[in-house]
Amino acid sequence: MQGSSQSDRPQTAVTLTGVSKQFGAVDALNDLSFEVSTGKFFVLFGPSSVGKTTTLRAIAGLEKIDAGKIEIDGQDVTEAPIRGRGVAMVFQSFALYPHLTVSQNFAYPLKEAGLPANEINQRVGETVEMLSLSHRTDNQPSTLSGGEQQRVALGRALIQRPNILLLDEPLTNLDAKLRHDMRAELKRLHRQFGMTIIYATPDELEALSMGEDIAVMKEGTVVQQGSPDDLYETPRNLYVAAKIGSPHMNLLDASISNAVDGLDTPFGELSTGRFGLSGGEDVVMGIRPSDIRLAQDSEPHVNMKVQLVEPLGDITIVSVDAAGANLRMVLSEAGALGVQPGHELPVVIPAESVHVFRKADGIAMPAGT
Amino acid sequence: MFFRFNAKDQAREVDQAGWGRTIWAAIISLIYFFPVLFIVITAFKEHTDALAVPVKLFPEFMAFMVPEDLTFKPTFHNFVDVFSRSFSAGAAVQDTGFDRFFFNSVYIAGFSVLLALLIGTLAAFGFSRYPLKGNDTYLFVILTTRMLPAIVVIIPVMLMFRVTGLSGTYTGIILLYTAFNLPFTIWMMKSFFDELSPDVEDAARIDGSSERRVFFKICLPQVLAGLAATAVFGLILTWNEFLFALLLTGVETRTVPVAMSQTIGGDIGVRWGLLAAIETLFLIPVILVTFFLQNQLLRGVTFGTVKR
Repeated sequence: MQGSSQSDRPQTAVTLTGVSKQFGAVDALNDLSFEVSTGKFFVLFGPSSVGKTTTLRAIAGLEKIDAGKIEIDGQDVTEAPIRGRGVAMVFQSFALYPHLTVSQNFAYPLKEAGLPANEINQRVGETVEMLSLSHRTDNQPSTLSGGEQQRVALGRALIQRPNILLLDEPLTNLDAKLRHDMRAELKRLHRQFGMTIIYATPDELEALSMGEDIAVMKEGTVVQQGSPDDLYETPRNLYVAAKIGSPHMNLLDASISNAVDGLDTPFGELSTGRFGLSGGEDVVMGIRPSDIRLAQDSEPHVNMKVQLVEPLGDITIVSVDAAGANLRMVLSEAGALGVQPGHELPVVIPAESVHVFRKADGIAMPAGT
Repeated sequence: MFFRFNAKDQAREVDQAGWGRTIWAAIISLIYFFPVLFIVITAFKEHTDALAVPVKLFPEFMAFMVPEDLTFKPTFHNFVDVFSRSFSAGAAVQDTGFDRFFFNSVYIAGFSVLLALLIGTLAAFGFSRYPLKGNDTYLFVILTTRMLPAIVVIIPVMLMFRVTGLSGTYTGIILLYTAFNLPFTIWMMKSFFDELSPDVEDAARIDGSSERRVFFKICLPQVLAGLAATAVFGLILTWNEFLFALLLTGVETRTVPVAMSQTIGGDIGVRWGLLAAIETLFLIPVILVTFFLQNQLLRGVTFGTVKR
């Protein structure tokens, strides 16, 4: 359980190889593989019931897997007991011990680890201090606010100085303001302690703002793993493209043009190259709202009618009608000045920013001819 | 399936209902309590007062506020007679053996309730956390012995006691009461365990607890209220049980309800005052236990009604 400095640890903290788990007839995890580098803030991202919690529980040893291998610090722990994995976990429900006080909650894992009383007291004191819970030490969890309960849950994990900290949607049960504060707090704690964090969340904002490395999950498996930038710039398939980025990527049905070296789109031809596909093939075209811009001077453009204007302060999201399809674009506050529904805007869709996904399987096509 | 604690539930004004409703509640409570009150009052009456019509409900010292013919002169005579008295006019004062019967009741009820609690809690935890194939069937089977009237069940039970030689022994009646308390204990405790958050147990497992410690350090402390409630209900059932005790205990192991029934009769008719005195004494242990477990009991009874 004792954390040693991260430098003398293996490069890879956690490796899952071909992990499968069934609950009855349901595949919870389906040939799941990923690697988590030591000391990284790693995010498992995906909608609910995609297998995030099961993955964390499997790493902790709470769930026996049906197939595959789980390694922690290079050691195969697939069959190892829960105890001794050097893993701590924060549950979505917080899972505080309701019959114990805050101090006793903190002390519990240390007692179970057989630490001497004076060390337990010292560490509990430090943790209480660090999480500003000194006025709550003798309270039972039921008398604490949601934010305080969350800090106790976090403290009970951190006090063990785990090598690996598993966080299962820890902010879901908090209100918006607290959630925002806790995101910063978690990043700070990660920097301070340097442990590997595996963080499960269905919240894209949490994933992108905290994750150094993000694995996007779908139906019990990882569909793409990469840095927030990777996922944003080069989504490997439609699923990732649709999940990552706010506002979401515009996705339109199109096809590879027979006439030009590019696409037939609802609003005309676009010279984007053919992405290695043959003419006439159906594709889904993706364009980030922030990549769409207004034409300057006599630049070639398409006139589109404004349908909806959503001012968000520093930026404004404008929905325009593109020959029946709906396109969202992001304008600066100044750029959106005076834009009203019904106006026509000269819209430019930069060919180099267009993502193309094969209609048949949603796989992203590499740019080029 | 997450639970959140609600601090607001903690503080609730005691007198929120106001005087009007409180008085209504008091009146209804008095009607509820009247049979008990009647018995307790009778325990302090002489034989003639006990039979008097109209019923004399008030002790002498309350004569200043009620008509005199409704008052009686309190006496402790009956309580003394419970333990030793002469059985016929002029005969010598004899020990009635009631100290023994009271001991038997306490010993048998206490032992069997504790035993049922011990076995039942473990069984309930098993049923809750490690369900068997066809778990519900087992739970149903456990309940079947309580589905028949005791008078029906007694026939095979008597046979079993005859064969095993358990008739009239402490072991026999304790085992029987334990078996009788078990269904209730298991069902009650299972529902308490079912209510617990499985995440809390998993948290303890990750924090390094063995399954045994998860049970003793995490689960059990959370269901103390349930244990108290189950113990009290079991105790009341066992304490007052009559039929099995009548047929399956011997002279040495007789419990108070049986002994009480045998006090009825004799050559001077039924001594109501004496009977009431026995009942009053008989009430005390249950009232004490209930009183001391009261806080736990209230929490236990309302357990699970609040979504945490």
